[in-house]
Amino acid sequence: MNADHTWRPRLASRARLKFDPIAQQEMLLFPEAALALNETGAAIVRLCDGAHSIDEIVDQLSKKYDNADRDALMREVMDFLATIRARGLLQ
Amino acid sequence: MTTTPRPYTLVAELTYRCPLRCVYCSNPVDFHRSRSELSTGEWRRVFSQAAELGVMQLHLSGGEPVLREDLVELIQHARANDLYTNLITGGTLLDEDKLRRFRDAGLDHIQLSIQGAARESAETIAGVGSHQKKLDVAQLIRKIGFPLTLNVVIHRLNIVEVPELITLALELGADRLELANTQFYAWAAENRRALMPTREDYDRAEEIARAAIAKYRGTLEIPFVHNDYLSGEPKPCMGGWGRSYMCINPTGAVMPCHAAAVIPGLVFESIRDNSLEKIWRDSPAMNAFRGDDWMMEPCRSCERKTIDFGGCRCQAFMLAGNAAEADPICRLSPHHGIVESMRKDSAADDPLIYRDAKSSRALSRS
Ligand code: SF4
Ligand code: SF4
Repeated sequence: MNADHTWRPRLASRARLKFDPIAQQEMLLFPEAALALNETGAAIVRLCDGAHSIDEIVDQLSKKYDNADRDALMREVMDFLATIRARGLLQ
Repeated sequence: MTTTPRPYTLVAELTYRCPLRCVYCSNPVDFHRSRSELSTGEWRRVFSQAAELGVMQLHLSGGEPVLREDLVELIQHARANDLYTNLITGGTLLDEDKLRRFRDAGLDHIQLSIQGAARESAETIAGVGSHQKKLDVAQLIRKIGFPLTLNVVIHRLNIVEVPELITLALELGADRLELANTQFYAWAAENRRALMPTREDYDRAEEIARAAIAKYRGTLEIPFVHNDYLSGEPKPCMGGWGRSYMCINPTGAVMPCHAAAVIPGLVFESIRDNSLEKIWRDSPAMNAFRGDDWMMEPCRSCERKTIDFGGCRCQAFMLAGNAAEADPICRLSPHHGIVESMRKDSAADDPLIYRDAKSSRALSRS
């Protein structure tokens, strides 16, 4: 996927993040299905509010996991967004 | 004894009352016998118990759930328990004011059924003039900002409209278009000959849907639910009996799926008598086909049993006379011949039986 770093992804209105108290895990819920998210996935989803650009999302994440490799994080963010976009979960 | 699985999805059939008379309706054919719907308090208790058990997704269904005067309160309570809440409606009773109140109560999503792309065929199926009203309501739903799934049950009478349905869904700005081929239970089983599409129509519709799924990926999601008679693939019924899904009918009976009442000998306990947790874990009906100890050959030694769970138990009973048999949809079933003849048994001139109290009384007498 070609990275447009100014893209400001926004979660589709039908998707909602919910913490699953039984599996102790964040879930992305949408009609008829759900995706179990790891911690990074959930952190990315929280920043998909249409206000943060890809660069800003990666900045925030690298602050959160201090001194994380920025290129690796960028790749992780782009891969994750491609996955949820293919499922129509980004607007 | 294995550990009890954890349920994810609850379908709450709030009522069997409905202003429409769809010939494919999945409500039981003898619905007219159903008395005394659960009260507001009883449903509230069920939703709380469901959330505690691990349920994530709640579908408010029917009949027509909008007929429940306490719907706003039920939505509020579902959201207070952090359930992803979906309203499954025919739409004819909705207006802007109600939709706003549902939104303010926290409703997550609306699934609106339409019966076709063209007014005439749609209303032949619904048995009531309702098509234009539904299209108006679809627009209102979008205007208010709800995500929208359009659900269309597909059968011989509307299967050629698949291209127009896709156009319509795009025009209406739907998020999803569910092309749900008829599943032959309840009223659809009564109308099977009239609703079974021809092989040519079915294959063509599938091809069109497949192309549209690829074309609109990311914009319009198009789940295509197969007609298992024609696809020949046994359905992994409800993802396995008593495994992740349950349905509660208007009087509180807890079932592994809404069709399960056709299987004789299963007693569905009511949430009026026991907690949801106890019923889910211990009730004999919920445990009847859990795991695979109940399986017979050819399923028992088949490697697909962890994928399709031997198909649908209700269909096994309906077609093979024994709910523990392989679903006769499967080519390996000794009863598969019956499916082969039924799939060719499509009759354009069979009279339609409409889902209403009068037909319900007539059919449940026999
Ligand atoms: S299928 Fe039709 S008749 Fe049956 S509950 Fe739904 S809208 Fe009503
Ligand atoms: S034999 Fe049973 S498990 Fe195997 S494919 Fe057929 S229905 Fe499924």
